[in-house]
Amino acid sequence: MAHQWGMVIDLDRCTGCEACVVACHAENNIATVSPEEAARGRTMHWIHVERHWEGEYPNVRARFRPVLCQQCGAAPCEPVCPTYASYHTAEGLNAQVYNRCIGTRYCANACPYTVRVFNWFSPEWDKPLHLQLNPDVSVREGGVMEKCTFCSQRITAAEIHAQAENRELRDGDVTPACVQSCPAGAMVFGDLSDPTSQVSRLARLARGSKLLEELGTLPAITYLERE
Amino acid sequence: MDAIYGLFSSSDAARHALAALRTGSPELGIKKESIIVISSAPLEGEGLGWEEQRSRMPWLAVLGGLVGATTGYALASFTQRAYPLPTGGMPIVAPWPTGIVMYELMMLGAILTTIVTFLITARLPRYRDRIYDPEVSYGKVLVGVAEADRDLSAKVTQRLYEQGAEQVKEITGHQERLRERQPGI
Amino acid sequence: MAPNSVTQTNVIDQEAERIREDLLRPLFRTSWRFYTVVGVLVAIGLPGLAAFIYQSYSGLGVAGLSNPVFWGFYITNFVFWIGISHAGTLISAILRLVNAGWRRPVTRCAEAITVFALVIGGQFPVIHLGRPWLFFWLIPYPSERHIWPNFRSPLLWDFLAISTYITGSVTFLLLPIIPDWATVRDRSTGLRKRIYTVLALGWQGTPREWHRLETAMSIMTVAIIPVAVSVHSIVSWDFAMALVPGWHSTVFGPYFVVGAIFSGIAALIIAMALLRKFLHLEEYLTPVHFNNLGKLLLLMSLLWFYFVFAERLTVWYGNETAEMPGFWSVQRGQFAGLFWTMVACNFLIPFPILAIKKLRTITGTVIASATVVVGMWLERFLIVVPSLEHKFLPYNWGSYRPTWVEITIMVGTAAGMVLLYVLFAKFVPIISMWELRGGEHATAAEVAARGVVGRSGAVPDATLLGTNG
Repeated sequence: MAHQWGMVIDLDRCTGCEACVVACHAENNIATVSPEEAARGRTMHWIHVERHWEGEYPNVRARFRPVLCQQCGAAPCEPVCPTYASYHTAEGLNAQVYNRCIGTRYCANACPYTVRVFNWFSPEWDKPLHLQLNPDVSVREGGVMEKCTFCSQRITAAEIHAQAENRELRDGDVTPACVQSCPAGAMVFGDLSDPTSQVSRLARLARGSKLLEELGTLPAITYLERE
Repeated sequence: MDAIYGLFSSSDAARHALAALRTGSPELGIKKESIIVISSAPLEGEGLGWEEQRSRMPWLAVLGGLVGATTGYALASFTQRAYPLPTGGMPIVAPWPTGIVMYELMMLGAILTTIVTFLITARLPRYRDRIYDPEVSYGKVLVGVAEADRDLSAKVTQRLYEQGAEQVKEITGHQERLRERQPGI
Repeated sequence: MAPNSVTQTNVIDQEAERIREDLLRPLFRTSWRFYTVVGVLVAIGLPGLAAFIYQSYSGLGVAGLSNPVFWGFYITNFVFWIGISHAGTLISAILRLVNAGWRRPVTRCAEAITVFALVIGGQFPVIHLGRPWLFFWLIPYPSERHIWPNFRSPLLWDFLAISTYITGSVTFLLLPIIPDWATVRDRSTGLRKRIYTVLALGWQGTPREWHRLETAMSIMTVAIIPVAVSVHSIVSWDFAMALVPGWHSTVFGPYFVVGAIFSGIAALIIAMALLRKFLHLEEYLTPVHFNNLGKLLLLMSLLWFYFVFAERLTVWYGNETAEMPGFWSVQRGQFAGLFWTMVACNFLIPFPILAIKKLRTITGTVIASATVVVGMWLERFLIVVPSLEHKFLPYNWGSYRPTWVEITIMVGTAAGMVLLYVLFAKFVPIISMWELRGGEHATAAEVAARGVVGRSGAVPDATLLGTNG
């Protein structure tokens, strides 16, 4: 049976430090934009941390919720793409094939979580930063849509390693950049088709919920609400 | 293309002339199929040959529509199955969208069939071997015979003038040389 | 035997000849005004082209779009022009179907709007692409990539529907032009004669040709109406298929179709008024036509109001958390000014003008139409943008402000539309001559029974949609 990759994010542990955002940028060759562009809503973050305020002043508390592509089981973004740039893989990933994308941006409109980002311009890296690009991840050109892949390059790498060692993938073999860099250990990644995996056990907790669950998009990410 | 024809200024006169040519065809020695009527507007319901027109264009359009719809289904099913990519939890050949594809291609099929059947059955485009007189576009109705030899010409000329033709003209040879014929020759 | 009723025939002949001369005059005589208009339109259009090239070269970021407002002016204009395209073919087909006699001078100028509005509107989905040079990946053809387009995507439906619609509209426009081109061929000389000879396809005017032409037209009339309805329904489904609050609505199909016909009639009235003035067609495009189209516009205004009310009411009453921010931004937030301008333009101003008989004049209907065109553009904008600004998660809300690139392209394409129309009116008789002459060859008795043959052809026998008032 194919793996069904999923994630659990414990909101009780998230401190809103945004280390995941930085790690994601570094791992996935995500472009940074100028402050002016950022102010226009053109940041390229594949994962962003939503900050919400609870309560009335002076008794206010900040709450954080990292939001990345929910890798929906019934993703609204996939069928609207005319060129199959967006489709569903056998392992439950919501794939985005950059080379097929012609930039209709329909998927981004259809996504209820607004986690798809568009290359408004071709990305540039100031020298010598162009030398630090991750060779395992393709660099996208202007005019195409991109989004979180659950670090599919790391999944592939782990599968190759396991194959070389002539064994099945073990729980914990794959760690996306955001999970790896979370100092509070708020994020757990793994195979949901394996009921014994850590991610499966956490996803079954009573305080688990899905983001905008009522839309029927079947997200692969479970948020553990604060107690 | 040889022909002899008269130009009439009203459809009434043209109708009488047509009737006269038809009833007189055995006596004049002309074939009914070679009698021609040309006008600058459709002469529907005026006894000028419209009534004999039949065509299966509407049925061919329906057939074209069916072919189009089938093509639509084939397109939306074979191409998707040839490279199956699941999206949004939908079936590879999703019924509702396939219905839309079939519908649009059905209409396209009907439209394209209509264009083609129109051109074929109206015998267009046709730049050579045409019997025509520019006077038609000034409102005249042309009635004549698409065959002409010397004997026939005289008799037909006579008949056309009797029916009130304003002019009778003859086309001979491939160069469409026009020669006006005077009454009473 | 002499032709019966010689005088009657001659009167009709002269009359018919005058019609042809009037309608062919713009083709044969070119005034300095024509060159001025073309020059001005080209001057407005070229910056639009330059702006598109600049955008393709620099990246779509030069437009005002951003996350989450991924669609803006371009899609607004796309929907707007596809709506305008419903002027012609649909209206003309409906009038042909019910055999409204007064349609005769109107159909061709209406059908031409359809074709050119589709040509212009169809450019916007390409202009708005991130990689516009790859637009042909939407076309289903066997390629070396071994992958076909996704037929589950509404954009594919769009492509198929618009292709069908433009094929049908061009056919619908061109078929009845063939006999008129034959007339032009017979009356011209030199290069012009050679061009029109080719265009006329060797048309003679035999009963067979006329019969096939009319049969083809009646098939097209029946076929084009459902196509036109499907086109704008599918355009609406571009929105309704997406899981966006404010878009995901079942009313969108009919709502868009009604809005399209509404803006289409308005565009037609404006085009007719301009043609009437500049080509001196006062005797053909008469107050009767404007009056009748004004009544249709009135009907569509009421229908439009009904649909807006139904759509707004449903959202407001349902009071869903996700829907309300977008709803209120339109009703009393930053879009309220545009919303109420739209209501004024589409209903409050045109309704009294069109409802009061005295005001339903040429000037009156043109004023009403001008406001409707503006109002319907705003309607499209208010459908596209406010919903995108307020999707489910408030953290991601954003805003949209168009840049000069979008505005230049929008103005340029509008000029392009007018330019195509002006050129069309230059090379094709804008009123179908042979259809206008429908009654010309009628028998003397019929002519007598019908009274004088009006120069606007069949205006006197326009009974079906009413000529009174």
